[in-house]
Amino acid sequence: MSSHREAPAISKDPVADNTDTYAFVSPDDPGTVTIISNYLPLEAPFGGPNFFEFGDDVRYELHIDNDADGEPEITYEFEFETEVLNPDTFLYNVGPIDSITSPNWNRRQFYTVTRVKNGHRQVIGRHLACPPCNIGPSSTPKYGALAAEAVHKLGGGLTVFAGQRLEGFYVDLGAIFDLGDLRPFQKLHLSGMANAHGVDATHDFSVHSIALKVPKSELTSDGSTPTNPAKQVSVIGVWAAASRRRAVIREPGNGTSHESGGWVQVSRLGNPLINEAIIAMGDKDRWNAQPPAGDSQFAHYYEHPELAVLLPVLYPGVFPKLAKLTAARADLVAILLTGIPSGIVAGFQNYTGSRQADQLRLNMAIPPASKPNPIGLIGGDAAGFPNGRRVFDDVVTVELRAIAGATYPLVNKSYKPDPAAALVTDGLGPNATRYQPHFPYLGDPQSGYQTTPLAA
Amino acid sequence: MTDLTRRGFVKNSAGAAAGMTVIGALVADEADARGAPPGTEPVVAYVSDPAKGEISVMTGDRELTVHDRKLAARITRAAR
Repeated sequence: MSSHREAPAISKDPVADNTDTYAFVSPDDPGTVTIISNYLPLEAPFGGPNFFEFGDDVRYELHIDNDADGEPEITYEFEFETEVLNPDTFLYNVGPIDSITSPNWNRRQFYTVTRVKNGHRQVIGRHLACPPCNIGPSSTPKYGALAAEAVHKLGGGLTVFAGQRLEGFYVDLGAIFDLGDLRPFQKLHLSGMANAHGVDATHDFSVHSIALKVPKSELTSDGSTPTNPAKQVSVIGVWAAASRRRAVIREPGNGTSHESGGWVQVSRLGNPLINEAIIAMGDKDRWNAQPPAGDSQFAHYYEHPELAVLLPVLYPGVFPKLAKLTAARADLVAILLTGIPSGIVAGFQNYTGSRQADQLRLNMAIPPASKPNPIGLIGGDAAGFPNGRRVFDDVVTVELRAIAGATYPLVNKSYKPDPAAALVTDGLGPNATRYQPHFPYLGDPQSGYQTTPLAA
Repeated sequence: MTDLTRRGFVKNSAGAAAGMTVIGALVADEADARGAPPGTEPVVAYVSDPAKGEISVMTGDRELTVHDRKLAARITRAAR
């Protein structure tokens, strides 16, 4: 998956597991950028009675690098606290929840937002309410209205939401992790099975999202609202993370614990699928603990991705040119670690210099597309991945094709990719019902009552 | 956690009066910073490498690294 359960340690800590990060110019408010970071992979909507929630012992972070040094100049921190109205019932709710202040809602979460900008800390939101999880028609009868109540305006033109959302990332998990057996092409795979449609494995699951809409002028290094895509000030790097306190002492016999010490990063995510499918098993936990500024230590994984070696083996005779491509993949390094310089793709750049850092790089001067293409830049839509990432972007297809060699001609015009490189996909596309056209852009989660297990 | 229990925890972690000195300084510093009396937050002492004498002392979200071979040795002995 994009970054769901992608490393051994974080797969055992779902509350802190950063699954997807998005950054895009808000399509209905183009003077702003929306950054979304998801946590808690594969929430089954019926997972009660203790429904999913953020960790009170986790610090969630959205980082912005606006001067190309790989370090965050701006960080938005989110810390949560859970309040229980009645500890003498096992119920999440004791009646219908018709508003986020309903006394029927027994277990609720609130959060504080702190902005750290150039070293200056400022709390910009306190005791902001999350919505409940979507339980079912008896408990959360008007879920859309409930969730809308949890969209909060902050000062300075910022808007924030934190709570359960429908998973926006689509992928055929069962096929990809079955030795890359992409169903639309599996007749060509070693398995030799008949071709089939892709299966959207995540389509009913939920995640917990933190979404923040910010005026562009708050994100640039000089306070300007960028309008010229060619200028470096138009480009920001974005990634998200989660941190836990260094020490936890569990008290025997009473179910409580103490956390002490500084915050230690346990999860991070810029570009999708990197720690998932680029970084090797032995380095995955360390990658999650490192800041992007030190990512040159992992560059060899981007230069020589294991999947590029596997594709010609798994699909005999389909990728002969890829099989002979042994040079370091400067195309992948540019797309994922430095940004794409001017002159490579006409009218586009998101280059942040030679410092290698895994970040979503968003050129904020590029306006939202009137007719978005889910495969983004390689489909001629410069408003999409890898120019930031929109909620509906088909990052699985984009990265499969890039690794298969489709983007190598960007750095070596004499290379002619295998025809299959432009076609490879897991056979899925965005389903519009998963999204909404306004903030927070990810759709309302399915209710537990209305979800049939494994109906996909 | 009661105050008594907290003190007991510190004693068990440090195992010596010298430990209390170092840890007490951090607690007092923390108390000064927050305007609260000493001892309101638990203290954790972590000896990552006894041979180097490096001790991480943590309270709240603060952490101090102390280099004290004798203290590290005493804590290590207390733990065995």
